Amino acid sequence: MSRRLARLVAAVVVLGGVGACTRGGNDGGFKVALLNPGPISDAGWNAAAYEGLLAIRDQLGAEISQVETRTPPEFEQAYRDYARRGFRLVIGHGFEFQDAAAKVAPEFPGTVFLTTSGNTVRPNVAPIVFRLEEATFVLGELAARMAPDGAACAVGGMEIPSVKSTFIAFQAGAAHAKPGYPVTTSYLGTWDDVGAARTATLALADRGCRFVLQNADAAGPGVFQAAGERGIYAFGSNRAQHEVAPNAVLASAVIDIPAAFVAVAREVKDHTFTSRIIEEHMADGAIAVVFNPALETKIPADVRNAIRETEAAIRAGELKVPTAEF
Amino acid sequence: MLGPAAVVAAALLVSVGVLAGAGADPLAALAALGGGAFGDRFALVDTLVKSCPLALTGLAVAIAFRSGVWNIGAEGQLLAGALAATAAAHAAAERPLALAAALASAVAAGALWAGLAAALKLRRQVNEVIATIMLNFIAARLVGFAVHGPLMETAGHYPQSDVLPAAAHLPTLGGGLHGGIALALGAVPLVWLVLHRTALGFRWRAAGDNYYATHLAGLAPARATMSAMLVSGGLAGLAGGIEVTGVTHRLFEQFSGGQGYTAIAVALLARLHPGWVAVSALFFGALTAGAGAMQRSAGVSAVFASIVQATVILALLAAEAPRFAHRRGRRRDDLAPRAGTAA
Repeated sequence: MSRRLARLVAAVVVLGGVGACTRGGNDGGFKVALLNPGPISDAGWNAAAYEGLLAIRDQLGAEISQVETRTPPEFEQAYRDYARRGFRLVIGHGFEFQDAAAKVAPEFPGTVFLTTSGNTVRPNVAPIVFRLEEATFVLGELAARMAPDGAACAVGGMEIPSVKSTFIAFQAGAAHAKPGYPVTTSYLGTWDDVGAARTATLALADRGCRFVLQNADAAGPGVFQAAGERGIYAFGSNRAQHEVAPNAVLASAVIDIPAAFVAVAREVKDHTFTSRIIEEHMADGAIAVVFNPALETKIPADVRNAIRETEAAIRAGELKVPTAEF
Repeated sequence: MLGPAAVVAAALLVSVGVLAGAGADPLAALAALGGGAFGDRFALVDTLVKSCPLALTGLAVAIAFRSGVWNIGAEGQLLAGALAATAAAHAAAERPLALAAALASAVAAGALWAGLAAALKLRRQVNEVIATIMLNFIAARLVGFAVHGPLMETAGHYPQSDVLPAAAHLPTLGGGLHGGIALALGAVPLVWLVLHRTALGFRWRAAGDNYYATHLAGLAPARATMSAMLVSGGLAGLAGGIEVTGVTHRLFEQFSGGQGYTAIAVALLARLHPGWVAVSALFFGALTAGAGAMQRSAGVSAVFASIVQATVILALLAAEAPRFAHRRGRRRDDLAPRAGTAA
């Protein structure tokens, strides 16, 4: 028994010893880290952020690091670990990173803690708010105009304000085209359960949903799969997602995350960064509706024109898209 | 038969092979893993904090398995404990015994959750593997419901509870360590003592070794099944209570991250021996703590830790298979209810 213990302890100690020698300290270069709430292979929210991180590396010569974090304690730990290692900019990718950023930030005044979405502003904490609602509004209108007697639905990951807000705008867009247009929403409670997303979408389709918007990150492909099975159209979000499901995804509400990331990172690098809520709008070209070229011809010309007018009105600031209060 | 150390070594070797195959630098990755687990004070604390729930749930699984009950439900029992602790802590607010109330509720809720499965087994011959797994999902959904409904934060933004009142926070032992680690360390000899030096523990082990003979000997194995599950669930519930009062201070969706499932590996690697559970929990805790650091500093996905865990379990099963096969041949299968032995 004791020999077994000795061996196991020895294994553990060796593992530790190897590590102890290689734990590095701070060094000079500009370092940027990204905390994702899910896998960067989701072809959506997280993939777009990772592309943004790569753009920071390529355009600003930054040293980069990325980590997947699932729970608030992990958010905090990752923020703290990067800050301790001298990262100048650490991006928590989502609304849910605000508390951890606000908690860790006072200990590390030399690091900028960015969250994508949110309203928490401190001397070194700032959110980038992508007004994706402007694009989901247009998608809602597209659904209501293409199937005036049908219904639309939306499938979200976790029920957090940033996701809820895109659905509120989706619903408002549908109502803009046809008042009282039925839109049902469903939340999965996770960001990566593809099976749950598929089941939820099948149920929604069977209850009459003809257009489904997904905002569920890595679970999103389940929505596309179900849409394909039931022959209904799906809308992608955060990134042009028609490559994920060319036969199901009609259009996507897209954010140009790389451009936004590079802009903020440049400010941090040049020491010109000032803490504020950074908003990104359709008018700046940061938000857009991108159509699937293979299915674009299915959209009737009059619908297409109506959509273009709405987009123009949003860009011009004549049409105010409703969002959730947060 | 291979020893656990050989099993761990074999698993690490296979995992390193996977790393090399995926084009990563295995040595750098392992170094980062070890550094994240033991490299400095922060890493050590992190490892201990991550090991704490694994030790308690590992003990829970060990007790159940030794008693011949396949409790796969430590996950659900942990969640039930965390949920009850959160509710109790908020109900007690800043009253002096808030922490005690939270932890006691956690133990009770975990025991209740396991007791449900035991009652289903004893009264209705429902296989406890199925029942405990199903109860895991129900517990996860209950947590989801609670943080979207009655326990949702006052701000109403994110599906999580408000921060627990300070009176319900576990005291810290300094440097990020919390008092729950002392509780877990204390539980190890206690469980060993009960299992090996008390009549209750004897009944558990007897029921686990041969349910039929225990029945013939008049030792009421059904009661042993129930009491083992209650204690097992209580320990897992305590793990959940400690996580919420000591580490997260909030309840949220996806609270556990599968600690209750890792617990099975922890217990099996320890060969169901309480003392070894502590060592094996430390190993898996180090793996979890190191995996995060490995992704941050070596760019190797934290999924690698799951690969190591999975290969440890597979290697363990391969090494232990002859033993289980031998046991099955020795047992009688003609008395219900009894534990499954199809491992």
